[in-house]
Amino acid sequence: MSAVLELRGLTRRFGSLTALDDLSFNVSAGEVVGFLGPNGAGKTTSMRAVLGLTDLDAGEVRWAGRRVDHTSRRRFGYMPEERGLYPGMKVGEQLEYLGRLHGLTPRDARAAVVDWLERLGVAERVDDKVEALSHGNQQRVQLAAALVHGPEVLMLDEPLAGLDPTGIDDIGAILVQEAREGRCVLFSSHQLDQVEDLCESVVIIDHGRLVASGRVDDLATSGPRRLVVRIEGDLDGAWARRLSGVQVSETRRGEVRLILDQGTDSDLVLDAARRVGHLSEFRFARRRMSEVFREALS
Amino acid sequence: MKTTIIIVAAVVVALARLALRRRRRRPRAAGSDPTERSRRALISGGVGLVAAREVRERVRTRMFRFGTLFILLVVGAAIVIPVVTRSTPSPERVGIVGRLPRGVTGAIEAAASSTSTSVTTSAVPSVALAERELTEGDVDVVVVDGVGLVIAGPTTAGSSSFLDALASELGIVRAMNRGHLSAAQIALLAHASPVPVRSLRHASGASHTVNPEALIGDILIFTMLSQYNTWTLIGVMEEKSSRVIEVLLSAVRPLQLLGGKVLGIATVALAQAALVLGFALAVAYAVGSNVLHGTTWVQLLMTLLWLVVGYAFYSWVYAAAGSMAERQDQVQSLALPLSLPMLFGYITALIASSSGSPSLLLEILAYLPPTAPFAMPVLMGMHGASWWQVLLSIAISLALTVVVARFAAGIYRRAILRTGRRVTWREVFARG
Repeated sequence: MSAVLELRGLTRRFGSLTALDDLSFNVSAGEVVGFLGPNGAGKTTSMRAVLGLTDLDAGEVRWAGRRVDHTSRRRFGYMPEERGLYPGMKVGEQLEYLGRLHGLTPRDARAAVVDWLERLGVAERVDDKVEALSHGNQQRVQLAAALVHGPEVLMLDEPLAGLDPTGIDDIGAILVQEAREGRCVLFSSHQLDQVEDLCESVVIIDHGRLVASGRVDDLATSGPRRLVVRIEGDLDGAWARRLSGVQVSETRRGEVRLILDQGTDSDLVLDAARRVGHLSEFRFARRRMSEVFREALS
Repeated sequence: MKTTIIIVAAVVVALARLALRRRRRRPRAAGSDPTERSRRALISGGVGLVAAREVRERVRTRMFRFGTLFILLVVGAAIVIPVVTRSTPSPERVGIVGRLPRGVTGAIEAAASSTSTSVTTSAVPSVALAERELTEGDVDVVVVDGVGLVIAGPTTAGSSSFLDALASELGIVRAMNRGHLSAAQIALLAHASPVPVRSLRHASGASHTVNPEALIGDILIFTMLSQYNTWTLIGVMEEKSSRVIEVLLSAVRPLQLLGGKVLGIATVALAQAALVLGFALAVAYAVGSNVLHGTTWVQLLMTLLWLVVGYAFYSWVYAAAGSMAERQDQVQSLALPLSLPMLFGYITALIASSSGSPSLLLEILAYLPPTAPFAMPVLMGMHGASWWQVLLSIAISLALTVVVARFAAGIYRRAILRTGRRVTWREVFARG
């Protein structure tokens, strides 16, 4: 049985603001879990709570069946949302220092630095100061800082923010590979398409409370039936809004996504669509992550 | 010196006994528990790593290197320039005309000795010739028959200390000769030494003139404490503003991080101070300067000790203040009130040293930890404090430093992760 990171009843108040409100969910080792929620939902506070960077009013964090303490947290890796590196320190020295703070020997730390900089494609910048690097490369070095000590649990706050597509692909591939090797990977993101591509599971929170969680496949196939309809010349799907038992979920570049009520006959929708114009697409579809997200929050 | 050795030996024995007693009382299981051992290694390792990084990064900066070089240049110049420009008195050339009564030669030697002047004498056949030599500058002064002096320039009071001394000595010799004293009596009078003076006050209180080493040490301590405390404050603020603090605190405890930073900067401060003092001593010795004449290793070590004691006290306070700031302008407004007690102690010490009298205020400040690093060295320099008083002051400082460190660590822990704006005092004292 794989180890599990358990967040149990986390509650954190800042004066009158409740940042975490009895929040509970699990993250299993070996899978990449997307941590979603609108701005201010409590994602960063949750991660900080796991890492002991904020006090809790109630609740506890457990890893592999034991309450997390300072010693076990040294086997966690953390990538904060904002850059968390010494700007004037050299990349290689900085990563070695962080590795050693997490308990690596000097030799192991040096070897890990070389390995991770190589894997992240910034090996040639080892002697450069962090402030001399581009945003994307700083992001890669920041990820290396979270990975250098071979953590069992990875907490990554917006690791894909501001990256170009190549950077997203590179870092995404590494996260997936880390999970395959048995790490527990939790990352927050507002880029829902990437979350859908990378994650096995997602956790969605709002106002510090859990609003949805589960495997991406289950969430995508659960709920009412969905249709994707494309009619030449129709951009807004106004025809569908007049149908009973049908809601327009999304319209994008001529593609109209519809949600059908339980008793609605899809053939009636097909007939209505044919009457509007030439039908170029008509199919059942899974829920997109953006739809899962919006519906969970509504 | 004997007393010092006895006190040091007594303290060492007492500490050793205390350590042995504590070891005996400690449960054996705790000491041999591998988890406990690894926990301790982890804590000390974290502090050591943080301290080592501080030392490496601080010493590496251009500002530190050029700053140190600049200080060394200033110190070197302050020692070398006075030596180079020191006017060395040229030997006084004394022409002697006519007979020499008894004791005149001794009088010339005595005048030279009392004014630290070297003298060359030459016999001149006549007064006329002597006057010509005076006019041409071949001699500086002419002694005529041992009872009169001739010089080339006008006679103004104090124009030459040697001339005045010589005139005085020759006058005494003339008086002795007129009194028909024997050669032995004249010699006896010529070598008369002053009578001893017995003071009713203790010797240590007799002189309150501060020695220059204490004053130089005080200036050094103030300069370095100002510099290194600012480093601590800005260093903590930068870790907070760059958010690297979040990554660090996911690996080490706040107190480890704070302790490592304080220890690292203290190491750099001590090394720089030792370098400056060692350099000053070496240069002074090499060029024969009397600026630090008589400075002993004890005085040198006392300066370094007070630097460490002062830094140990202030660094925690400055670090706690740094954890409340997030920008440079916030740092300045936080640093100002913290520097006031330091400034007060320093200025009071300077005033006391210039007045030459240890005021009651100075004596009180010498026992208060915020001001002791400035007041006590000056008090010691005035011989106004015994060894036990110095040790008492250090003990008070260290004891209060422990209290301040615990308090500052609490503030640091509460404030360091609060970002977005400057943390208020109310927030750091509030729960959580």
